[in-house]
Amino acid sequence: MKGEKLRNLSFFLSPMIIMVGLFYLIPLIFTIYISFTKMRNWNIERYLTEVVGFYNYQRLFHMFQHDPLMRTVLLTTIIFVGITLIINVFGGLLLALGTFFINERSSSAIRLLWLLPRMSPIAVYSLVWYYFFHGSEIGTLNSILMKLGVLSQPIPWGQIVPWGAWSVIIFVNGLVGVSFGMIVFTSALNQIPKELVIAARVDGASAWQISRKILVPMMKWHLLYVLTWQFLSLLTTYPHLFLLVQWDLVSRDYGTTLALYVYNTAFGRGEQDQGLAAAAAVLLSIIGIIGGLVTLKVLQFEKMIHEPRGDIE
Amino acid sequence: MKAKVGILLAIVVLVGVIASGCIGSQESSETETTGVELTGDFTKDILAIGRTLESNGINEVKFSAWGSGDPNSVMRVYGIVEAARRINKVWEENEVNVKITITDIHYVASFQDAYQEYLSKQPLGQAGDFFVNSYAFLPTLADEGYILDITEYANAYQNVIDDFYPSLIEASKFNDKLYGLPQDTEARPLYIRKDVAAKIGFNLEGIEEKVKNGEFTWSDVYYWAKKAKESGAAEWGLIHRKGSAHPDLIQFIYAFGGKLYNEESGKLVVDVPAVYKWLYVEWKFAQDGLLPKDIMSWDWAKQIHPAIVEGRTLFDIGGTWYWTEWQTKDYYGKEGTPRPLKPEEVQAWFTYTLFPAGEKGLKPVTLSQPFVWMINSKAGQQNPKYDELKDLYHKLAFLMVIKASDPDINAIHSVISAHLPVRKEAAELISNEKWLDDLKSLSIDLDPQVKSNIKDIVATTVHPINAKFLADVSYMLEYTKLAPAHPKYPALADIFKEAVDKVLRGDMTPEEGVNYIIQKVNADPELAQNVEVVGEIPKDWTLQ
Repeated sequence: MKGEKLRNLSFFLSPMIIMVGLFYLIPLIFTIYISFTKMRNWNIERYLTEVVGFYNYQRLFHMFQHDPLMRTVLLTTIIFVGITLIINVFGGLLLALGTFFINERSSSAIRLLWLLPRMSPIAVYSLVWYYFFHGSEIGTLNSILMKLGVLSQPIPWGQIVPWGAWSVIIFVNGLVGVSFGMIVFTSALNQIPKELVIAARVDGASAWQISRKILVPMMKWHLLYVLTWQFLSLLTTYPHLFLLVQWDLVSRDYGTTLALYVYNTAFGRGEQDQGLAAAAAVLLSIIGIIGGLVTLKVLQFEKMIHEPRGDIE
Repeated sequence: MKAKVGILLAIVVLVGVIASGCIGSQESSETETTGVELTGDFTKDILAIGRTLESNGINEVKFSAWGSGDPNSVMRVYGIVEAARRINKVWEENEVNVKITITDIHYVASFQDAYQEYLSKQPLGQAGDFFVNSYAFLPTLADEGYILDITEYANAYQNVIDDFYPSLIEASKFNDKLYGLPQDTEARPLYIRKDVAAKIGFNLEGIEEKVKNGEFTWSDVYYWAKKAKESGAAEWGLIHRKGSAHPDLIQFIYAFGGKLYNEESGKLVVDVPAVYKWLYVEWKFAQDGLLPKDIMSWDWAKQIHPAIVEGRTLFDIGGTWYWTEWQTKDYYGKEGTPRPLKPEEVQAWFTYTLFPAGEKGLKPVTLSQPFVWMINSKAGQQNPKYDELKDLYHKLAFLMVIKASDPDINAIHSVISAHLPVRKEAAELISNEKWLDDLKSLSIDLDPQVKSNIKDIVATTVHPINAKFLADVSYMLEYTKLAPAHPKYPALADIFKEAVDKVLRGDMTPEEGVNYIIQKVNADPELAQNVEVVGEIPKDWTLQ
């Protein structure tokens, strides 16, 4: 019986296990291995077997100690992930709740509008904001404010450090991320029996009370999912940041997160140091694992997956 | 039991895959003999290679050409196409049934992007067979074994090699071995707007000589820039290039008598006094509003070039290629819809000098970044019997680069892109009026594909004014400096750029900028091992 159960389980789980192994586990193992080699400039034949022990980690920690940029990278990562996460989760929740209480046609239109940033190609979307926030009079924002007489001189928004640069990267990424939460929460809201809301309405509850007492508590799972997913996603995202920094729209120091640092070190410079980048990537993975576990713990994931008490036989 | 067999099978398959990969990647230690030794007689060598290929059953040889640069520099790839045509013609005339086909022409704007693409694709065998790029990347590519060592081949063609300017051949070497042939070079003049100068009484007569003999220095540049700004004759005193401090702004280091490389120790150098003076000039110009504080984030097409061509600055540190770029791109928007300049306008509005000496008693400079034709160490691999005929394919690729360096191909590139010729014979051709007329009407012997691709560029750029400009600036090569060809130089150049940006924006004083550079160098143990910090910040130094 036990063997049969195991066989059935293996059958159903094997596609997922193979996927996880192939696309997550093996790359992670490779990354860890590369971090112990002198791998650079893509020269696999020469460096893949040249094991250098903890050399890359020592170098990385030496840089954390002595390079002011590295401390800025860490600080930028914390601020960027922290604030964008709040915007993404609560922005998505607000949008979902907001559109829940209005008629279907309007809510669909609003949702579609918020999905635009996610549907646009990254380069096009980033280019729009490049010209919008450009620090000279060619920037749309500066141009509008100057025409209105609010500004006499253009402001280099992304180059005001630290908050100018942080605001731009948070704004640009926040707009993309909000739609994810919105979709998940909207779908969750649609699963909640309408009777509950109607009953509350009959009892004279306001939209705020309905949201706080009924809707949000019933979306705990979804909140946990969006929060954890978005946290890990923000920790590792870099394409928008890469373009904004590359185009000199935002300060290089305060526009570079740890994920972008990994990318630039591995692929973005004259000398491409994949060994050092792998060490930084391992560090990023450790932060991600710890952060993910903390999120699950804080939101009492274990409690949520307890089996029902079994009042009904 | 079944599970064990399954696991065993999986292991066998895995080991098999890995082993086959290893075996596949191993290079044969045997040297293939092709029976063709290069003699230095081009026709004889090309016929010998053609006949050997034919006898091995090869009738078509496929190559690909990768290049990068401004839109007018497409001969960097079409030079290879033309070389193939010329070799095919020799074979055809001598009844050798082999043909070279250029299967892929890959040309992108950013040479840094092209380099990164090559670096990532070469180990996978997906990079171009010919790769034109800055000599600055040559040491890394050579060191990693990604490009072909052509020293021995070149020995047979010493007569051709001798026609190149020696400093450019030196720039194509790494560890005393030749890894490419120069394709073009340039100078980076200081452009001065004649109309703005006239408004402030700045007499430009003999300015070229004054700069040459060190009489006109950066103090004078500052004086006139300030006057232009304060009198309202121009919005800015100076505009310069942005991006990586390599290779433009490091001219300041040389102009202030500093150096970037210690030949004895083989290490890069942070020459503190010269770097301080460089940062001081940047800081002073920006603080006084003569140079935009945010120039490092200006847009090339919408800000930098329009500001220069519309006369909104007195000085500009640019490159020789600006001269024709202004004639082909829509940068001039003063009359409404942006349009390119006419050759007569460029000539009427701009004069050009060397990069002035930093202080009295020092020399003016300019900076070149030669582009080099490099050959992939896996060149020819998309062809049949590659392992047996590798040496033959490599020799053929080398002869194609020799052919692509023909003086007329080099001269065409120089005229239409305003780069300087790399060969003496090409330089002579440029001053030949009849040849220029033939080029203008495209009545020269060129591949139809090449002709159709350069037709529009030729129409706008081939002009006696442009040929005169090239002849006028050629003397600058006598003053030229090259950035060090050191694998760690790009990392140091990135740090310079960051420091310049911070100093320009006023986030750091010049002194803090120098200390920032030193701190950044020391923060990376690997960089610190390769860089020497010499000298001290001069006390009470100002721009006088």
